[in-house]
Amino acid sequence: MGKLIILEWKKNNTKKYILSAFIMAACLFLLIFGINFWGMAVDPDTGMVDAPTGYNQISVFIDVLTHMCYTCFCATMLAGYIVSTYKNKRMSLMFSYPISRKKILSSQMLAVWIFNFFATVLTKLFLYLAVQIQSQYQPSAFGLDFNFSSPAFYIQLTLSSAIIISISFVALFIGLVMNSSKATILASILLVCLTQGNIGSFTLANNLIFYAILLISSIFFAVLSVLRADSQDLM
Amino acid sequence: MTYLLQTNHLTKTIKDKDLVSNINLHVKRGEIYGFLGPNGAGKTTIMKMIMNFWKPTSGDIELFGEILTPSSYKVLKRIGSIIEFPTFFDHLSGKENLKLHCEYMGYYQPGSIDEALDMLSLTSAADKTVKNYSLGMKQRLGIARAILCKPEFLILDEPANGLDPSGIKQTRDLFHMLNSKYHTTILISSHILSEIESIADTVGIISHGQLKKEISMKEISDINTEYIELSVENTKKAAYILSDRLAFTNFKIIDEHNIRIYETKVPIQEITKTLATNDITFYSINKKSESLEDFFLKTTMEGEK
Repeated sequence: MGKLIILEWKKNNTKKYILSAFIMAACLFLLIFGINFWGMAVDPDTGMVDAPTGYNQISVFIDVLTHMCYTCFCATMLAGYIVSTYKNKRMSLMFSYPISRKKILSSQMLAVWIFNFFATVLTKLFLYLAVQIQSQYQPSAFGLDFNFSSPAFYIQLTLSSAIIISISFVALFIGLVMNSSKATILASILLVCLTQGNIGSFTLANNLIFYAILLISSIFFAVLSVLRADSQDLM
Repeated sequence: MTYLLQTNHLTKTIKDKDLVSNINLHVKRGEIYGFLGPNGAGKTTIMKMIMNFWKPTSGDIELFGEILTPSSYKVLKRIGSIIEFPTFFDHLSGKENLKLHCEYMGYYQPGSIDEALDMLSLTSAADKTVKNYSLGMKQRLGIARAILCKPEFLILDEPANGLDPSGIKQTRDLFHMLNSKYHTTILISSHILSEIESIADTVGIISHGQLKKEISMKEISDINTEYIELSVENTKKAAYILSDRLAFTNFKIIDEHNIRIYETKVPIQEITKTLATNDITFYSINKKSESLEDFFLKTTMEGEK
């Protein structure tokens, strides 16, 4: 399986995705710094920080923005690695190899998952670290509610990253059923709205039951996507 | 007789439409099997089912003596194929694409990639990215990939697509060489009859999703020979020899130099030998027969009547 995952990265021009992840991290860095240090969140009339209820800690911004970006990014990669491979008939080539189709599809999904998981974790760590360092020299507009020396910080960061990346498999299944890369990406945007959006003070972003249901659903859809490979005709 | 590939009542139906029905195909080990049919006849559908891309609605496929199931993956190690058109990873070079293919096939034979590229005259383009290849070069690279791992069975769907005449000849010679040197069994589909005529040992003619005829090229030649045309210096002397020495009764003198013999089962060598030993000067002798095209048209039209 490890070899198959490496081959997936090799043949799918992963350098392009690494570069995109770097650019995305840089954009997130500018946005977080803009909000926290450069006055973007300050109401010019009142001179006070203007943010929705519950958004008074910087970790909320870092998590929400990173999750939003990587849910879409992961879905884009899944579309590129899997959905478009079906569309441009490269899957015929892949399925002509003496390897289990379930294994081929699993390796493609895992290649995307591993890449995005590490990219999300590293981006978050980079943003937290950057905020921590900058806060030594400049007052922070939002509360600094994270602690690098606490194991809970790393557990929360890793788990939330893993869950949010896994959720993209729901989008993959929709893309596969509709045979459309656009549908995959659109489904991921809807998932972002659902998981990270808020109506007034109401949000599902911190609802553990909701995330548990979503995680179980995404695992179910991932398994379903893999199982389809053997039973379905390759159109 | 055991066959390398055999299909039994193979049928594929999509949305209540029979794409192919009741196909009984027999491909012998070591032969070149030409799969003939007009566009949309069902050739690619059958090839897709053989490659396990599509599941049969009914019937089964026996490949290398085993019934194909949705999880028959191991058998694919022994097959090289091009179905419809070859696809590549365009950002990689031709050579990198072939390396990748070897990795997936688990085939590690030093020098095999260079050899395959050389066979298809792609050595100079080996390091060029595939997105810069012409259609013909992509087709040749697809053939190079199909033959790269020295498969026992080659499945080629319209391999001449996009090739220029010299490319067509080159690939034809290559298939002949693979068949004679490595005993590779080849299933080749085409709607270009002359291509099949010049390469196949056996042809299967498919039309409207049904296999109309499965016949060896030799049988076609024997069945369809109409007469033997003999051109001689003296027809009277020649006619006497044909009648007296070969006991022919069914022939006709056309003019002062030409005779048509309707005894088509007699080998030409026997006629020429008898004429030569009896000092009959002859200029030419030819079997006049229907071309594969005539046979194909006759076979496919039969079903439509």
